[in-house]
Amino acid sequence: MVNIISAGQPTEEAKYEQFMKRIEAGEKIEAEDWMPENYRMTLIKLISMHGISEIMGALPEKEWVPKAPTLKRKLGIMAKVQDEMGHGQLLLRVTEDLMKPLGKTREDILQDLLSGRLKFHNVFHMETKSWGDAGLIGWLVDGAAIITQTNMLDASYGPYARALKRICAEEVFHAQHGEAIILALAEGTKEQRAMVQDALNRWWEALLMFFGPGDAATTGTSKQDTTIKYRIRTKTNEELRQDFFTKYIPRVLSLGLELPDEEMYFDKEDGLWKYQQPDWSKFKEIIQNKGPKSNERLRLREIAYSNNKWVIDALQH
Amino acid sequence: MSESGFYQEFEVFSKRSDTSPIQYQFSLLAPNKELALVMAQENFMRREPVADIWVVKREDIRKMTSEERQSLQRIDNKEYRNTKGYGYLKKKWRHYEQDMLDEKEILSWGGKQKT
Amino acid sequence: MGRETEDMIVNQKDMLQKEGYLEAVTHLLFQLADDDFILAYRGSEWLGLAPHIEEDVAFSSISQDTMGHAAMFYSLLEELGAGDADKLAHARLAKDRKNAILLELANGPGTYLNEPQYDWAFTVVRNFFYVQAKKVKILSLKNTSYQPMAEAAVKVNMELYYHLLHWKTWFMQLIGAGGEARTRMEKAVTDVFKDLGGLFSQGATAVAFGENQLIDTEEQLIAAWKHEMTPIFDSLEMKMPKKFGMEKGDGRNGEHTQDLEAAIETLSEVYRLDVKASW
Repeated sequence: MVNIISAGQPTEEAKYEQFMKRIEAGEKIEAEDWMPENYRMTLIKLISMHGISEIMGALPEKEWVPKAPTLKRKLGIMAKVQDEMGHGQLLLRVTEDLMKPLGKTREDILQDLLSGRLKFHNVFHMETKSWGDAGLIGWLVDGAAIITQTNMLDASYGPYARALKRICAEEVFHAQHGEAIILALAEGTKEQRAMVQDALNRWWEALLMFFGPGDAATTGTSKQDTTIKYRIRTKTNEELRQDFFTKYIPRVLSLGLELPDEEMYFDKEDGLWKYQQPDWSKFKEIIQNKGPKSNERLRLREIAYSNNKWVIDALQH
Repeated sequence: MSESGFYQEFEVFSKRSDTSPIQYQFSLLAPNKELALVMAQENFMRREPVADIWVVKREDIRKMTSEERQSLQRIDNKEYRNTKGYGYLKKKWRHYEQDMLDEKEILSWGGKQKT
Repeated sequence: MGRETEDMIVNQKDMLQKEGYLEAVTHLLFQLADDDFILAYRGSEWLGLAPHIEEDVAFSSISQDTMGHAAMFYSLLEELGAGDADKLAHARLAKDRKNAILLELANGPGTYLNEPQYDWAFTVVRNFFYVQAKKVKILSLKNTSYQPMAEAAVKVNMELYYHLLHWKTWFMQLIGAGGEARTRMEKAVTDVFKDLGGLFSQGATAVAFGENQLIDTEEQLIAAWKHEMTPIFDSLEMKMPKKFGMEKGDGRNGEHTQDLEAAIETLSEVYRLDVKASW
């Protein structure tokens, strides 16, 4: 009698081949399915960073939540920052399921953040100085986030694709929330308009960095090739940055704002925006938790953890 | 994840209206089902109507493995189970000068009396 | 417009003409609006700092609902000629505010920007006791003589079911957990009772509220609150004091703490940059 089980047991290579066939055919991989170790690790790295960036990203805007200037704005920005926490929740759940076979939990994600092993997005290390920043984050930082996230809506990993679908639906509200603040300021007093221009000037470099370096040559490492191979995303960092310019530069200009990059132009020949590169060595510094607000924001998370630990300990069963 | 501890996994299901079927939403972590329940709506249904919510401990759900999901496939030869296999009746009834009682017609019978 | 509605509007106009009526309604609305506004503000400071991410999200919805209730009450004041709702929320000095002192107290040492050593036990107890007090007031307000306030009460009441369920669950579980959690919760309960009386106080306007059939008396509201809370206290083997304190003063009469001064400073920081500008 033939042992059907062992006869049917595919080799690692066969499993890998089968896996690649599945994702290339547009099939979705689920949490408990077999997946190459490299795929799992790539996803963990990508989604844990995405998730923790949402949680850390709530903090700069949150600085303006209690200060929002009207009842309506107080409500709007509360709902917006709440969504960021909610997105963090969705993405951490996706990560936690991926980490399960490694014996890691949410607790480990937080410890990795506090120890500096887990990085968060460069923009969320930056300082906010005025209500204009609250508007600009909603408008352009969320705008940039929409560009990168919609690029992954069809990701091969099913749980991530489903979380992104929820997230992107809410991002539409975020974009409009940001636009509402910016338009009110742009149509307001001289001081209010100056507030927007000032915020744009200060956030410009961080916005360029948002999409990551163009290639590995810039900063030494880049995961973009792997994520494209695994059908997690489709476009490169530079393509996304160009998409962002195409969508947002005309709007920035239409409000009478000046681009912080005087030499920037759209080259009709190759259909690309030409712009001054940000200082990528600064980018490396920032994501190593050496940005202007890195330590203060990490400290807030640490306090939220240590100060409330008794609550977690109390409800263990 | 361990059997006890604060971070238990719960799957959240909800109904949009009294007549809609229960639908899967997402998963959350909570120390027990009561807290899972009071956090469920605001985490996953902040912007939509909800008529009911269920939370289920994940370990109580038997999911399929990817191999088992293969068992869900079937050949497309089961017209006899569907109205599609009986479409020819329409022509037959026409012969008797009767309309076909199709799905649309039959499901309309339970409706309110027209006044 | 139906005959009944027309009658009601005529009636309402007559009532507002009545000596002292407008003033009494205005005072009551300020008490309701300022209570919700300052507690929602305190809730908004917690954003991103709650003990658990899922809870952070849930808590924020409650803060938003509560801020929404404040906005409804401020709009009713605006309709009565008290001034622009945003101005009422942002520009009034502490001495002109009517919220209970219990609700203005900081969430704990530090500020939301710097070393927020916030106290979850205090937050759970304050919110649970407040929502229950709000519930008995709102039920009473459904029968108030001022129709727009009765209509607002019906709407507000819809959202209180969830607020109550949420805070009651946390309250019962943390006390039921025993150990350090129970010790912390019991301390918070003691602290909250020291100023709980301020929630029910109607200040110097209590008599006018009664004369104009605006809301039940302080004693009636306290009795209703105790009636709801006693079974919960009994089940947790907790004792409820006979009298609720007002140690830090009566906010209804404009008495407030430094905590409120600091909160107003923050919550109006952007508004004050240009009070005439559109934001």
